[in-house]
Amino acid sequence: MRAYLAFTKKEFIENLRTYKVFIMVVVFLLFGFMSPALAKMMPDLLKTAIPAGLEINIPTPTALDSWGQFFKNVGQMGLLVLVIVFCGIMANEFSHGTLINILTKGLKRRTVILSKLTTATVIWTLSYLLAFILTYYYTAYFWKMDGMYHIFLTFFSLWLFGVFLISLVIFGGTLFKNIYGSLLVTGGAMAVMMLINILPKAHKYNPIILSSDNMSLLTAKQDVSDFMPAIIICSALIVVLVTISVMVFNKKQI
Amino acid sequence: MDILQIQNLSKSFGNNKIIDNLSFSVPEHSIFGFIGQNGAGKTTTMKMVLGLLKADSGSISVCDEKVSFGQNTTNQYIGYLPDVPEFYHYMRPEEYLTLCGEVTGLPRENIKKRTEELLTLVGLHGVNKKIGGFSRGMKQRLGIAQALLNEPRLLICDEPTSALDPVGRKEILDILKQVKGKTTVVFSTHILSDVERICDHIAVLSKGKIALSGTLSELKAQYKADCLVIEFANKKDKEQFIAAPQIVPYMDKWEQTDTMITFQVKDVSQTEIVVLDVLSQNRILPLKLEVMEPTIESLFMEVVK
Repeated sequence: MRAYLAFTKKEFIENLRTYKVFIMVVVFLLFGFMSPALAKMMPDLLKTAIPAGLEINIPTPTALDSWGQFFKNVGQMGLLVLVIVFCGIMANEFSHGTLINILTKGLKRRTVILSKLTTATVIWTLSYLLAFILTYYYTAYFWKMDGMYHIFLTFFSLWLFGVFLISLVIFGGTLFKNIYGSLLVTGGAMAVMMLINILPKAHKYNPIILSSDNMSLLTAKQDVSDFMPAIIICSALIVVLVTISVMVFNKKQI
Repeated sequence: MDILQIQNLSKSFGNNKIIDNLSFSVPEHSIFGFIGQNGAGKTTTMKMVLGLLKADSGSISVCDEKVSFGQNTTNQYIGYLPDVPEFYHYMRPEEYLTLCGEVTGLPRENIKKRTEELLTLVGLHGVNKKIGGFSRGMKQRLGIAQALLNEPRLLICDEPTSALDPVGRKEILDILKQVKGKTTVVFSTHILSDVERICDHIAVLSKGKIALSGTLSELKAQYKADCLVIEFANKKDKEQFIAAPQIVPYMDKWEQTDTMITFQVKDVSQTEIVVLDVLSQNRILPLKLEVMEPTIESLFMEVVK
């Protein structure tokens, strides 16, 4: 336990001093601020784009448009930034040989993986919360919050998908010992999930909906029961990926 | 007691057999020189001792406990200094040693004390810049400090001096000498003068096998093909010396240049008596008469041939 805390502390120092925390916080603050701002300005932006004389009825934006922007920004760009920031989480240790000293000191290999998972998850959670709080504040300031259902589950879904990506990155990095491994495994998994999404029947079991269909859950177009299977599968996949990572790592020659 | 025992160890990378049925042991409280050419398998052997690489066959025990790959229980006895030690470049030396201490489970007050002691020992006390800005010698010294942190019974150093300048080398060797009483040191190298300077036991690794092992003095005695060198003032003296009848039986054991003769013989003292007799009878005064002991270098060259 003490070794876990010590190594986790090292991970936080690393992420702070290599500006990873800084990048995450700045990017997600930006998303948090941008989402309501974009929703608010969208009609004006559209007006300038429409040629004079053409009459098009642009609906006034609502709180839901703001949250729609939030899921678009965080669910796409945000996740991409998350993967890019953490893609070297395992690879850098392997390529620099920095684990040799630590492992020969008797640190258990699974502690390395669990510490890294903890750190990345905490940083992701904080960044996500920041974006959420900022969007919430401005949305509540501009509009009346109504027409929103299943709020917790909607936001939890996207968070869980982020953790899923982190575990994919760790798994890929452990398996291939380099950054490309992390990116390849994560990108490959995304591609597979998008392919599966073509089949309507598989839709509700596919973890990718946790990052793509949040608005339909929030507006109750989809029900909790449509999301539950994907949430369970996603959670199970996280556990499986972390377990396999530990097993692979135990067998890795360093 | 043997602190490290290696029995019938083998390891291949693909079709390339690096270690071939290797066996040796390291007695406690020795400085053990593990010598071999580049690529002889020194690092591979050490990494197997540390459980970082998986052995194909054979067994390794440290302090009478078996080493098993991936599980690091025997590493609690070992301090390891890799050939090029790598650290987290964004940390400061004290932070790094604290991390190492916490990872290895030292009590908090011990960590602080040991950190101070070791940083003083390796001459990094009060150095408060990030490790990223360290020179190679400084990194090597910090490497020794981290290896000694948990007061290991066995300190394994992989070519600690190879990449350093003469001053840096001397510093490292002095540190190793200082820790000798407290811990056993296994020290791999291909710099033979370092070995002669500090090691008491050596093993020479060649083609994946031990070509030679024992204490330094034993080996020198065992491979005693000493030589006797005589340097004459001029060629005439040499011709006169060779012409002496007592010298004739040694004819096939010498090599000569213009004014020098080198005898390669088993029994140096007997030869020396004869040579001195001949010299005094013929009133020849040599410039130099020298008995040369075998060096590790000559032993090494002989066994890795």
